[in-house]
Amino acid sequence: MSQFVLNGHPVTLDIDDDTPLLWALRDALHLKGTKFGCGIGFCGACTVHVNGRAIRSCITPLGAVAGQQVTTIEGLDPDGSHPLQKAWIAVQAPQCGYCQPGQIMQAATLLKDFPDPSDADINAVMAGNLCRCMAYLRIRKAIKLAAAELKDGSSHA
Amino acid sequence: MPRSDMPLRAAARPSSPSRRAFLIGAAGGGFVMAFARAATVLPETSATTLIAERGFEPGLWFRIDIDGRITVNVIRAEMGQHVGTALARILADELEADWSQVRVSHVDTDPKWGLMVTGGSWSVWQSWLPLAQAGAAGRIALIEEGARLLGVAPDACIARNSTVSAGGRSISYAQIVQRGDLTRTYTADELAKLPLKTPAERRLVGVDTQAIDIPGKTTGKAVYGIDAQVDGMVYARPLVPPTRNGSTVVSVDDSAARAVKGYLRSLTLEDPSSTVPGWVMVCAESTFAAMRAADKVKVTWRNDDTATLSEQDVLDFGRKQFADPTAGATVVDDEGVDAAFAAAASTLERTYTTASVLHFQLEPLNALAFEKDGRWEIHTGNQWQSLILPTLAKALGVGEDRIVMRTYLLGGGFGRRLNGDYAVPAALAAKALGRPVKMTCTRPDDVRFDSFRSPSIQRLRMGLDAAGAIVAMQHDASAGWPTQVMVPSFMPKGKNDRPYDPFAIAGADHWYSVGAQRVRALSNEVANRAFRPGWLRSVGPGWTNWAVESFMDEAAHERGVDPLNFRLALLDGSGRNTGSAPNSVGGARRQAAVLKRVAEIAGWGTPLPKDTGLGIATTFGQERDMPTWVACAARVRVDRASGDVRVEKLFLVADAGTIVHPDGALAQMEGAALWGMSMAVLEGTRFENGQVRDTNLDTYTPMRMADCPELQIEFIASTEVPVGLGEPATTVVAPAIGNAVFAAVGARLRHIPIRPADVLAALKQSA
Amino acid sequence: MFKRLVIALLVIVVVGVVGLAVLAYRPALDPITPPARTSFAAELVAKGEMLAGAGYCATCHTAPGGQRYAGGYAMTTGFGTIWSTNITPDPQTGIGRWSEAAFRRALREGVARDGAHLFPVFPYQHFNQIDDADIKALYAYFMTREPAVAPARKPDMAFPLNVRALQAGWKLLYFRDGAYGPVSGNSAQWNRGAYLAEGLAHCSACHSPRNALGAEQLDAHRYTGAVVDGWYAPPLDRSNPAPVRWSEDELYAYLRHGATPLHGVAAGAMAEVVHGLGKLPDEDLRAIAVYFAGRAGAVDDAATAAALARALTASAQAAQPAGDAGARLFASACASCHYNSAPQPLTERPELGLNSAVTAADPSTLIQVILHGVGVDAGLPGVMMPGFAHSLGDEEVASLAAWLRRTRSDQPPWPDLPRTVAALRAAPTRSAATAQR
Repeated sequence: MSQFVLNGHPVTLDIDDDTPLLWALRDALHLKGTKFGCGIGFCGACTVHVNGRAIRSCITPLGAVAGQQVTTIEGLDPDGSHPLQKAWIAVQAPQCGYCQPGQIMQAATLLKDFPDPSDADINAVMAGNLCRCMAYLRIRKAIKLAAAELKDGSSHA
Repeated sequence: MPRSDMPLRAAARPSSPSRRAFLIGAAGGGFVMAFARAATVLPETSATTLIAERGFEPGLWFRIDIDGRITVNVIRAEMGQHVGTALARILADELEADWSQVRVSHVDTDPKWGLMVTGGSWSVWQSWLPLAQAGAAGRIALIEEGARLLGVAPDACIARNSTVSAGGRSISYAQIVQRGDLTRTYTADELAKLPLKTPAERRLVGVDTQAIDIPGKTTGKAVYGIDAQVDGMVYARPLVPPTRNGSTVVSVDDSAARAVKGYLRSLTLEDPSSTVPGWVMVCAESTFAAMRAADKVKVTWRNDDTATLSEQDVLDFGRKQFADPTAGATVVDDEGVDAAFAAAASTLERTYTTASVLHFQLEPLNALAFEKDGRWEIHTGNQWQSLILPTLAKALGVGEDRIVMRTYLLGGGFGRRLNGDYAVPAALAAKALGRPVKMTCTRPDDVRFDSFRSPSIQRLRMGLDAAGAIVAMQHDASAGWPTQVMVPSFMPKGKNDRPYDPFAIAGADHWYSVGAQRVRALSNEVANRAFRPGWLRSVGPGWTNWAVESFMDEAAHERGVDPLNFRLALLDGSGRNTGSAPNSVGGARRQAAVLKRVAEIAGWGTPLPKDTGLGIATTFGQERDMPTWVACAARVRVDRASGDVRVEKLFLVADAGTIVHPDGALAQMEGAALWGMSMAVLEGTRFENGQVRDTNLDTYTPMRMADCPELQIEFIASTEVPVGLGEPATTVVAPAIGNAVFAAVGARLRHIPIRPADVLAALKQSA
Repeated sequence: MFKRLVIALLVIVVVGVVGLAVLAYRPALDPITPPARTSFAAELVAKGEMLAGAGYCATCHTAPGGQRYAGGYAMTTGFGTIWSTNITPDPQTGIGRWSEAAFRRALREGVARDGAHLFPVFPYQHFNQIDDADIKALYAYFMTREPAVAPARKPDMAFPLNVRALQAGWKLLYFRDGAYGPVSGNSAQWNRGAYLAEGLAHCSACHSPRNALGAEQLDAHRYTGAVVDGWYAPPLDRSNPAPVRWSEDELYAYLRHGATPLHGVAAGAMAEVVHGLGKLPDEDLRAIAVYFAGRAGAVDDAATAAALARALTASAQAAQPAGDAGARLFASACASCHYNSAPQPLTERPELGLNSAVTAADPSTLIQVILHGVGVDAGLPGVMMPGFAHSLGDEEVASLAAWLRRTRSDQPPWPDLPRTVAALRAAPTRSAATAQR
């Protein structure tokens, strides 16, 4: 039995605590935006937020997030129009798209930590997110675009 | 179009719409517009009847509904190339459709679609003319009918944005569909005379747009094969045997697995199609339970000798083939090759190798299979449905007409999903259990079951006369042949009447004028037996061009000629390299043009910092029948102490004819170029004792963002036939990098991937 | 002759046994009727709660998943495994029938109510410095907990180590009795810090190496760091090799928040320590910081700036991984959370170039964290790291650790890494951040 808060709503699951969060999300909660890629925390396709920070859900046991706030790509923004999501469309970043939920979730943490990221910041923080279509340059561009929008937004606020 | 090839080269050719009729007929409240099956066109049959009877040509049709919505059916798999957007734009442009009204439907399998395959960088090339013709026929019918409804002459009307207008009056396509009688039949002759728009009149083709498939890929809503689910399904993970073809199950001990909550049972598959010999499927009530239980199931297999075969055996076999002058199929075999070599004043001979490369598409292989109402449904992402359906039929013991493959997005294709073998174990398990089975491979399962890119070995020889002119060239290439293993009936025959895998040798038949030429394709039987060689993004051109373009560089340096000028002189467009309409107009001269241009933008000839070098290479993409002219200059910096090669920048220039969806085309060039670089310096594995050595990302190291060089990509403006773009850039990067390493530090590399240790060894040798 | 020898030996043995019995003898103290909860003043209980936190009594007296203070937590020592006891006020299996005097004797002398000697895994040698008022508060706190029925488990130790009476001999050798007396010449703040650190907080129990008989070394080796339960407790004196030296402010921030940008996050047992100490008021934490800052020696701002610059330069290398396998592993699996750039590392991104786990003499802490991760309840609340035990083999963890050691510290390589990784992987873990396979 495990309880946590998923995208703002409390959930209770009757599955073993050592089940990876990824499979709890996909199989038990049918939230399929979080993707399975490598199963060892090396590709980033399964990235979700725990308490607002990116983690790899494929190696995170359910027990480790008991009582915590978990956010998936479905919960990043109510309308799916987070500045990152808009930037992703503006620069046409996705190809096959399979890694992109993870990329976006990781990028959200990146921008929290580095609001005005350099290429080096982006390269290092995003290095854990594999894009097999290798849309890397566009992902980098989209992150900068979103950073600019977030900065603009906050300076007008 | 991550990926390549396909069998029937003839079937790959763009269809010729001039030999077919075109139909517009009422159907389901709207109108369907489609090519008629040649055999079904009879003067007295109405278009509506023909459409009702599905007497139309597969693959290419669309419909307009009464609300004006236009749905284009696309048989191609969406795997990142935004193919639906490109194909729909071709049609919508000629149709003068309002783009916001256009939808794309990726269809499930049905015999009416004909051959379903997505590969070879063929999608746009094959569909261009028929789609344009279909759009034009629709436009003309809509104008005629709109004119009638407006009470004006068709000549007075123009169509724009799904509206026909004349003077100040107009009528929308939706209104025409609601009120008019659009039923039409165009004969072949009429169709041939339909005026297609000139390039200057195009409003969608060549203009950037946002790809239709992208928004869903940013919200988690996009549905991939791995996301498919039905009620009551069992989750399964395979236990992949120690060899691809030569293992049988001796015993299965699942006693430890029974302690896993949710574990159901382990099935030893009986496979009449022999697709997955020696497979055991571990079934459970959740994906994770299946994965965990599978770790605890102990299977004993009996293996044949392939369990002892390794990459070195493949290469050794290739060397033996080189030594046998009677071996292999001759793809090019000019008169007098041997005589020219015999008479040559000097010869140059080099051997090049490439390592095994994994597809590692990010979505691990998966399939959901079940029987419902007497019909089998297979839910999975796939690139070549027509190839696996007969195999599935054999495995399940039912007719092909009893199987439908539902279409999903592909979390990467790159050619892995051309080979649909992964659908078979799910189907067999579902049949054995009498319940829906969802198989999900773990990453190591996926990799061990990969039909990876075969290692290759190639020997190139060049004969030169006393003046240093090239008089003869021979290229022998040995590798595993995917087409032989998976669709032997589709192999064309060589000059010596022996079949060969065109995708394993394309590229060796280059456009350089080199005197008497011979290209020998050698099927590496050790590879074919030991594993299932796969089509991987660009397939053969990924290794043949590594050899050709490295060799050209070596030859230029041997001769003391600038590598750029050396190539340009050979790309003279003479003889068979003149080119021909419609696909290769301009021939080798267009290849020379992209090469010149890339040299220009890369600053060829200007001095560079220490240990930094610029290397060039040029190829014609996938095949001579549809050349995409491409050239690359790579700037690299080599660390002499560590052997590390840092690729700083890649310059690429491509001439792919007309560009339909420029931003999508650019994205394909970017991805393909980086794939090329990844295989050149970052990723590669070794086949060892029946298995690939690296099974996950801890040791398999494809490109990550931090490895990414700067890219500068240019297209040559062209109104020629649009050719492929998914793979061509992949073929040209590795040799450009290898040549750049030589330019930087004088170390010549003849194997990819280039590892620091190889660079250090080559440096030592050059010193 | 032989007969005489036997007699002589017998005499020695008898005298020894009798002597030991005399030495070891402690009377049982009378059981009491468990006092009513209401008999303890609320402020006293509250104070006791704070002190029990600062002594992290729960860390050892609670089994994983078990009721708080009910005991049963396994402590692995070089001499065998000992399970902690039930300190809830259950009359039969807990301390419900213990008088305050019996409770005080246990803390001060390591003797149970019935007169049995306690093993020194119970740090009475520190607790004997606690003053009467604090002991009174602790007693009030424990006697008002929810009683749990949980009988003590017998230690898993070979004879004669399991003979409790022998503990009297150990005490004779190593136990020094005496409540804390202020060191004159030092400030009241320093003395307060020393009282807490040396007594209730028993810092030295983990941070000082022990001798062959399991006693803390009190000489020059005091506070020079030690491996405890598979984790490394780093030195708290001048020998601490952290790139940025521990200042009073850094110590205070670390104890207050469980993490600082310049030193990283408390993990393992230290996570529980900071949670416990966190219950103390600011001035007490400041006092402990003052006390250890004195031990750690002077801080040089220029050196701190240089260390910071070095660490951030090294961190930036993650953006360009070279061919090294360890570098590649780090870029793929670690950099997304551990990369930092100038001017300052972020607390939520523990900077490994500044982290004691990387500079420590022993690699245990780094390996534990790589294998088992860090839970959301560790030093930095809400921030977690998943473990890589099922992702990486021993050689891979070793190569990652070796690469970090080589590129992020100026310390010599750790020997025998793969074996250490294998041993720590095989040992039981208390971390909840590892997915099981």
